[in-house]
Parts: sequence; structure tokens; C-alpha cells
Amino acid sequence: MQRGLATGLSGGLLARIAALSVVVVFIQTGVVSEVPVFGVRVDLSPLVVAFIGFLCGAEIGAIVGFAVGLLVDLTLVQTLGVTSLVFTVIGYWTGRLRELRDPQAALTPLLIGAAAAATSMIGYSLIEFLLGVDAPVSLELLRQIVLGALVDTIVAVPFWALVRRALQPSLPDDPRRRRRRAYTTGGLSPLSRS
Amino acid sequence: MYDKTVRRRRVVLTLLVVLSLILLTAYFGESSGGGLHSVQRGFLTVISPVQDGANKVLKPVRDLFGWVGDTLHAKSQRDELIKQNERLTKELIENQANNRAYRELLKLDNLDHELSISDYRQVNATVVGESPNIWYSTINIDKGESSGIHLNDPVINGEGVVGKVTQVAPDGAQVSLITDSNIAITVRINKTGVIGMLQPKVGDPNDLLVEYLPPKTSVNVGEYVETAGTVSIDGQDTSLYPPGIPVGQVTSVNLGSPYKSVNVHPRADLHNLDVVQVLTHTGNSTPAQVSSLTASLGTGGSRASGGAAQSLASAGGGG
Repeated sequence: MQRGLATGLSGGLLARIAALSVVVVFIQTGVVSEVPVFGVRVDLSPLVVAFIGFLCGAEIGAIVGFAVGLLVDLTLVQTLGVTSLVFTVIGYWTGRLRELRDPQAALTPLLIGAAAAATSMIGYSLIEFLLGVDAPVSLELLRQIVLGALVDTIVAVPFWALVRRALQPSLPDDPRRRRRRAYTTGGLSPLSRS
Repeated sequence: MYDKTVRRRRVVLTLLVVLSLILLTAYFGESSGGGLHSVQRGFLTVISPVQDGANKVLKPVRDLFGWVGDTLHAKSQRDELIKQNERLTKELIENQANNRAYRELLKLDNLDHELSISDYRQVNATVVGESPNIWYSTINIDKGESSGIHLNDPVINGEGVVGKVTQVAPDGAQVSLITDSNIAITVRINKTGVIGMLQPKVGDPNDLLVEYLPPKTSVNVGEYVETAGTVSIDGQDTSLYPPGIPVGQVTSVNLGSPYKSVNVHPRADLHNLDVVQVLTHTGNSTPAQVSSLTASLGTGGSRASGGAAQSLASAGGGG
């Protein structure tokens, strides 16, 4: 209980995160992956990790990233650990973004979606290159990465609304309200620490 | 309190990254029969029925999106297909006459037992999952060992070659598509019969590369590429595609290397796979005999000739 309070992770939130992650991975592999948009496939998994990290913080973001990555690798019978590594970084990074900057602009989900998608694809490609590629690599790969990130960015805004709606009832505090209170009371402002 | 939180956050991140790296290294280093691969197969066994159920529930949604896409492309496809149909009808009439003469000659020489699809047991399977990753062109199907599917069994659909089975669980299997970076198939150019090695081009799912064609080979854009019915002898990765299954059509010819290579557009619509057919075999069938022969040759220290295409399909079929 003490630990749950310290990380801000209640049982309800944990259940919602787990359910959301599993549903997204299944919808991703069963439907979304089979419907190409502009010749590329929308990938919701890095988006769900990024948004959970953004809503719940770096620690939970990293743990969810690892778990979702492992689930993706197991479900799609891919090299274990690759997606976990990339998604852990994405979850942690978006969590830190919220903890340090707490951006409130309307475009924030869009930018987070773009960055998460690009990080996921570039990170994946880098690891695959490091592991060694037997087949010739086409320059089309760059176009696929750019197009993939673009398509994920478009999907990011409605998907952010869905993720937030799914998790909000169990979130310990709304970041927007928290920030407003922080600036009125000064109690939670990062500046007060110095 | 603040320091404690920061320390714990860093420890969690480091732990997860290290755990990922350990998993990656262990998985990459072990054989396909290793512990992590077994865990993955076990997970596939558990997940296959769930994926199958989810696939059935979500099929209307997928069909709706598919219908929108198909409608947008239907008109241009129709015009293209009308032209193609006219051309193919002419070719068919010409080829039927040639084929008749060819079959008669084969009979005369007692060579008419070439391996064909009819030698295989054909198992129809529904696609229940697909990878969104540009590095992994894989699909999951709802049939596995209980339906007689084995590792490395060829997978086709009505249009041509789709890929091969790379993981098998009792009620599910993973198929690596011909656009996956780990796949290579021996193919021949339909018109000239020249054999080459088909490989994907990572990052471009609509482009395949046929390499190692003799430099003086005459290949033209638009010619068809089909499986050669040969296997690669390396003891582990033997996948016996029967000859004559369409793979794709030549889109460009590349010069400038000691061997000629051609770019090929895959014939099967790999973005839109609903049902595939796995070509599997029973204990004493010809493909089973050829596969075991190839495997025994591979384990017999034939690594030196690893990758060299051997025409075993015809030999096995004749036995």
C-alpha cells in the first residue's frame, strides 16, 4: 500500500492500465495491422505506452513500456527484448516530460505521438542493424519510417482522448489541476525544491 | 523523500533496460529449440484461441476498412485486369500447345514425376494476427501442429507464394512472409528457366530482389517469377516449395554487379491476407522424403555448400 501510494499506482489504475494495454495489443495485431494506410501500418502500441507514461509518470511509464513490449514480442513471435527495450525508453521519456515540464498545449499529444512513433521505428531499426541484417536494405525504409510516424501522429490525437478517458477515473490527480494548484500554492512547483 | 524517489526511478529504469538486454542477448544467441523460444511457443499456444476469437469478433471492422480501400482502387484495377486478361488469354492458348508437347516428351523420357502441389496436403488457415513492424513481416494463423503443420512448410494463397512457417504451436503458427528479412527462396524466371535467389528488400514491402542470375541472362520487365522447386541445404532451414508457384513479376533489371539481379513485385497481396494455405506433408509422402533427405545432407557436414540450391525436388519426386 505504501509503495502503491509512493508511485501513484492504485489497484484500480493498475487494472485499467493492464486491460488497456492488452486490448490495444490485440486490436493492433488483429485489426489495425491488417489495414494499411498510405502503404504503412498504424502502430498503436508505442502510442499507448507514451500516453500512459505521460499520464502516470516515468516509473510507471517505463514498467508499462517493458510489459507492453514483452507482450508484443510474445504475441508476434519476434526477438524477445527488442520491443521491450524501445518501449521502456519511450514510457520513461514521456513520463519524465510530464514530471519536468508538464506541457499543457493542445498539440502536446500530437507531438508526443510523433516522437514516440519515430523513436519506436528508428530504435527498432538501429537494434536490427546492430543484430545484423541478412537481406538488402532499401532506401524506402526511410520513407516508411517518415510515413509511419506521420500516420501515427494523425491517429495520436483521437487515441490520446481514448487513453485519457480510460485512465482518468483512476488517476491520482489530473496533471492540469495539479499544475494550477502548484502555481497557486507553490507547494508542488519544482522551483520550490531549490 | 525526493532523493529516494529519484533513486528508485533510476533503479527501475536501469533494471528494465538491463532485463531487456539480457532477454535480447539470450534469445538471439539460443537455437530455435531453446528455453525462450519454447516460452514463446507456449505463449502462442495460449494466445492462438484468443486471437482466433478476437479475429472473428473484429472481422466486420476489418472488412469495413478493407471495403473502403478496395472501392477506391477498384476502377483502376478493373481496367488493368481487362488488359492483362486479354494478354494472358493469348499466352495461355500458346502455352497449352507447348505444354502438351512438353508433357509428351517427359513421358517418353520417364521424367514426368516432378514434385507438385498435389503431392502435398493442403491445410487452409485463417490469418488471426499481423505484425505492424517494418522489420518483421509475419502473420499468425489459427492452425498448427494438431492440423499437421510443420516448421518450414511453404505457405501460399490463390495468388502465389506467401511465405513459410517459422514457429509452430499445437493450435497456431507463425508465418514469415516473403518480405521478411529472414526469408530467401530459390526461384526461376518463368520464360528462360534461369534460377536465382529471391530476397526481400528491408523497408520496401512491395519490392523483392532476385539475385545471382547469370550475367548473360536475358530478363525483361513484366516477366513472371516462380518457385524453382529447389531447397537450400543447410540442415536447419530446409523449405521445400513445389516448382511453378507464382512469386511475382519483374519490375526492373539491375546491371552493374558480377551477377545480374532483378526487382520483383510480389504477386500475392501481402497487405491483405485473410486465408492462406499451408502445404504440409505426411510421413511417407514425397515432400517428406525430400525434406528428410535434405536435412540429412545438411547435417552431414554440407555447410560448405550451404546456401547452394540443389535440384532435389525432381529427384525426390522420381523416387
